[in-house]
Amino acid sequence: MTILPALIILSPFAASPVSLLIGRKSEKARDAFFCAFLAAECVLAALAFAFAAQGRELAFTWAGFAGFGLSFRLDGFRALYTLIAAFMWLMTGIFSPRYFRRHHHRNRYAFFTLLTLGATVGVFLSDDLLGAFIFFEIMSFTSYTWVAQEETKEALRAAETYLAIALCGGMVTLMGLFLLYHRLGSLSFAALRAAGGAVPPQELYLPGALTAVGFAAKAGMFPLHVWLPKAHPVAPAPASALLSGVLTKVGVFGLAVIGCNLFRADAAWGRAVLLPGTVTMFLGALLAVFSVDLKRTLACSSMSQIGFILIGLGTRSLLGAHGALAVQGTVLHMVNHSLLKLCLFLSAGTVYMNLHRLSLNDIRGFGRNKPLLHFAFLSGAVGLAGFPLGNGYISKSLLHEGLLEYIALLREAGEAAGLYSAVEWIFIISGGMTFAYMLKLYIAIFWQKHPTRQREMDDLRKGYLSPMSALALSAAAVMPPLLGLFPDFFCTGIATMAQGFFGGVSPAHPVHYFSAENLSGAAKSLLIGAGIYLLFIRPCLTEKRDGARAYVDRWPRWLDLEQLVYRAAWLRRGLCAPVLFLCQFLSGLADSRPVKVRIPQAFAALSRLLSGLPDARPVRVWIPRCFGALARAADEAADHAALLLSLPLSGHGKSGPPPVGTRLTFRIGRALNAAARVLNRSGLRAKPLPEDYEFRLAVDRREARRAIGRIARSLSFGLLLLGLGLVVTCIYLLLQ
Amino acid sequence: MMGSDLLLLLPLLLPAAGGLCVSLIRLPDSARKNLVTAVLALEAGVAALLLFRPDASLFLFSFSAEIPVFLSADSVSRLYLAFISLVFLLVGISSFEYIAHEGNGSRFYPFYLLTLFALAGLSLSGSIVTFYMFYEAMTLLSLPLVTHSQTKEAVAAGIKYLLYSVVGASLALCGIFFLSRYAQSLSFAPGGVLDAAKTAGNEGVLLPVLFVMIIGFSVKAGMFPLHGWLPTAHPVAPAPASAVLSGVITKAGVLGIIRVIYYLAGAEILRGTWVQTALIILSLITVFMGSAMAFQEPVLKKRLAYSTVSQVSYVLFGLFTLSAAGLSGALLHILFHSVIKNTLFMAAGAIILKTGLTRVPELGGIGRRMPLTMACFTLVSLGLIGIPPTGGFLSKWYLAQGALAMDSAWNWVGPSVLLLSAVLTAGYLLSIVIRGFFPGEEAAREALPPSEPGWAMRIPMLILAALCLLGGMFPGAILEATQSIAAAVVH
Repeated sequence: MTILPALIILSPFAASPVSLLIGRKSEKARDAFFCAFLAAECVLAALAFAFAAQGRELAFTWAGFAGFGLSFRLDGFRALYTLIAAFMWLMTGIFSPRYFRRHHHRNRYAFFTLLTLGATVGVFLSDDLLGAFIFFEIMSFTSYTWVAQEETKEALRAAETYLAIALCGGMVTLMGLFLLYHRLGSLSFAALRAAGGAVPPQELYLPGALTAVGFAAKAGMFPLHVWLPKAHPVAPAPASALLSGVLTKVGVFGLAVIGCNLFRADAAWGRAVLLPGTVTMFLGALLAVFSVDLKRTLACSSMSQIGFILIGLGTRSLLGAHGALAVQGTVLHMVNHSLLKLCLFLSAGTVYMNLHRLSLNDIRGFGRNKPLLHFAFLSGAVGLAGFPLGNGYISKSLLHEGLLEYIALLREAGEAAGLYSAVEWIFIISGGMTFAYMLKLYIAIFWQKHPTRQREMDDLRKGYLSPMSALALSAAAVMPPLLGLFPDFFCTGIATMAQGFFGGVSPAHPVHYFSAENLSGAAKSLLIGAGIYLLFIRPCLTEKRDGARAYVDRWPRWLDLEQLVYRAAWLRRGLCAPVLFLCQFLSGLADSRPVKVRIPQAFAALSRLLSGLPDARPVRVWIPRCFGALARAADEAADHAALLLSLPLSGHGKSGPPPVGTRLTFRIGRALNAAARVLNRSGLRAKPLPEDYEFRLAVDRREARRAIGRIARSLSFGLLLLGLGLVVTCIYLLLQ
Repeated sequence: MMGSDLLLLLPLLLPAAGGLCVSLIRLPDSARKNLVTAVLALEAGVAALLLFRPDASLFLFSFSAEIPVFLSADSVSRLYLAFISLVFLLVGISSFEYIAHEGNGSRFYPFYLLTLFALAGLSLSGSIVTFYMFYEAMTLLSLPLVTHSQTKEAVAAGIKYLLYSVVGASLALCGIFFLSRYAQSLSFAPGGVLDAAKTAGNEGVLLPVLFVMIIGFSVKAGMFPLHGWLPTAHPVAPAPASAVLSGVITKAGVLGIIRVIYYLAGAEILRGTWVQTALIILSLITVFMGSAMAFQEPVLKKRLAYSTVSQVSYVLFGLFTLSAAGLSGALLHILFHSVIKNTLFMAAGAIILKTGLTRVPELGGIGRRMPLTMACFTLVSLGLIGIPPTGGFLSKWYLAQGALAMDSAWNWVGPSVLLLSAVLTAGYLLSIVIRGFFPGEEAAREALPPSEPGWAMRIPMLILAALCLLGGMFPGAILEATQSIAAAVVH
């Protein structure tokens, strides 16, 4: 028995290549194998569910896988969602052959659908965040092929967005897992639960929030929802049903694992989930109201319903131990939404495979006189809109009650609850909008008439479904009313079974789903919805054209978060382009001209300089000169020393008053001057003689006198030294 | 301590003898093919045999009493030898078709085998001097692989490759001179051989020397700023040569760094120093820059070359964290990146051979024409991005844990850059895959001729792609080996 979880997860991985090989030989055989396998998988899942419904658990560990080991656990919630996934895969599988009749690449679709199934149940059955992440990433990539399947321009673009967000989200989650693992040393759910009470939440906020990002993106939480309204409509309808019904729930599953283990009673975390959840809920509903495309409306509706579920999750963390109702509401709304979207997307698929159109104006009146389609769509619409006796009513009431409970709790504690009252009102209004857009679809498809093609559509009455696809559609259509009509059996049972996973407990008293309070909440919603339809949608979003009511897309084209932010030109030009340019610059650094040319040039110049150094003028001329000067200095050193020694005795040197001659020198000078003048004037000399002999003689005379004086002084200095020497000698002799 | 296990000579002699045979004896193409395959297969067999034997060593000769040249098979050597010979075997088998088309096989295969000889010697080197010898030999012997096509660009690229390699090796040699003053010996020993008495107080010299040495070896590993040879050499080399250049020869530089940090200097002396900080910053710049360059590169092989620049720096980043988890992640990434990049280059080679397309924008619908090749390409691309359960995820996980184990307030930066680069990796690889398999409605109507290569090219790719996936799913033995290596050298 313990092998059961492993079998459920691994058999789709094993079956996918088989289906690929069979499909190469025969498409029919492949379809048969595909459906048979899904039926077997569904039986296995039902077995697991029956097992878990008895309150028993199955744990299975695959030690050593990917180095960490995988651990799976089959308990209430996981068994439930495994069954839902298997059921939805089976229904869409049965529906597909007819749907894909004229499509290409059916083999590819079957291959990746099986892989995605394995990965999806792998996430749901994981008991370890790392294992869940492994399957989550596989799922992200394999489900990419669903979105891109049609290979139209829009499909490829939407698929690109889907992949980019899934990939970036996945990487952010991985960062969170790095941090969590580093902090806790284990990522098993049990370890997370233990850490939730023991580790201070401040240390867990960042890792927890990062881990949540990837899952939030998959769930379609604002502001990471941008892929959802684009990807779901372009995928083939069976795949849309799975994307909307199950894959978004995988995201919710991840958020629940974090919220219900790490942040069981953390108000900050609860708010951080609740507020974006509210925005998602309202925005999705708003987009759906404006949408004029059947599948886009359903996709936006998915987004909005995920918002409801996120509110449940948020309230659960806000309420902590009192969160029983919020938990039940969350679980039930997940289940209900999955089943409802199966029903609705298969209906949309029925429309598309007959008309190959999805715009409301093109499909007006298709549903007339087609009771099975009518029933299926109505079953989905009633449930989603929250009519009493529909299954959506039950879960929305519980979610609403959870919110009210928290508001009451806050009031009791004397704190302001204005924010949450606003959330409650948005909740009710969004519920109303749900009714309004479903009414819009319903009236368009089943009541209006197509102005030109109505006869053509009526002719499709027979044979618009193959027997197999009719079977799938009706099986899908039966589920929601069953849950809605017998809530005490189904809903309470499901909620009780699944709440353990969310850390919930059964409420003290059984829930009265049809209490006056709940009914009045639903009535408020429905009234608001009817009002929106009558007062807004009909007058503002439709116009008379060709005598019939046509739908107009009034949503401003530029108002698109993806275009405004994620793919915006300012982001590309302002952030990406400079970064890429910087990288180019860095990458070319070592090969850039300055480095490649200047550095060798500098080296060459240096070498040239060094090699020419011995011949350089400074070396050749100045060094010899330097040496010459040195030699000269050494040569004259003795003279200079003597001069230096005599300096103290030689007075002021050359300076002094101008020389004064004697009478004799004056006369001789005058005579010489006269002679020189005669010679100069006679022109006999090329170079004129000086005519200042009076002065010159005076100078010479002074020099001569000075020299005589110096000699006399030197002599006396010498005698002085001699005397001193004699004295020293005498002293020496005396002492001797 | 120096043994005489002659078995260690076998991995060197086999390819050397094979290479000489192929070059000296004029053989017909088919005989050469068989001979080369036999040599490569035998080499892989010997490597596998060594993998399960205990440590051994073989003294060859010595330059002087202090500089013995000897081979030694420790756990890192054996791991390296095993993966190198496996990769050479598979690339060799897949190269025959390509080289037959390219021509001049009689020149390609001798150097292919001789490069393997140098790499085997490199893996088994017991001392840094022995290592240096084989390192230079590897550069010279692999040069003809780069210039194989003999075009002007190929020769220019060869010169660039030579220049960068020689600059790097001489920086490393310069480091060896210094290191010999502070080390007890120049033989590799887990935890390092530095003499604490001599190093005390000389950190101011030792740290810059180690830095220079590591930068020197990082040239081969393609670390910023000296990564320029990679994107030049890869596009001009024949695809099998690019495969071993990217997958194996860059790892020779990595081995040099492993030996310097963990077997000569010891992690302890670098931990927390400016050297560690600087190297981590350089490696992270390379990781991001390489991915960003690959992202904007239209030539397929050049894109893969930039991808190698980025990915080998993942390995270097792991080494520079100086933690056991980081080292074990680095060793894992050496293996997985090698497996992945060789598959990618084989696929690129098959595309070039069969369709003549070299630029990414021309590859729309290639998945329809070569489904098996592109399926392998897709699988290993996911591995390179690090999508679980492929091997790339495993190595990334350990690298990140190693980074977070660092004692720094900034330890989260490394993992963030790795993940950012992973997103870019997805951008530059998955765009090829997506356009290959989902070319859009218009392309679907055109009948594209199927152009799968022969089985000799497909089977190696399939084996490597399977290794990438299965190695990630059941990594028990590899993980144990890398962790025991890490535990022995990091405390």
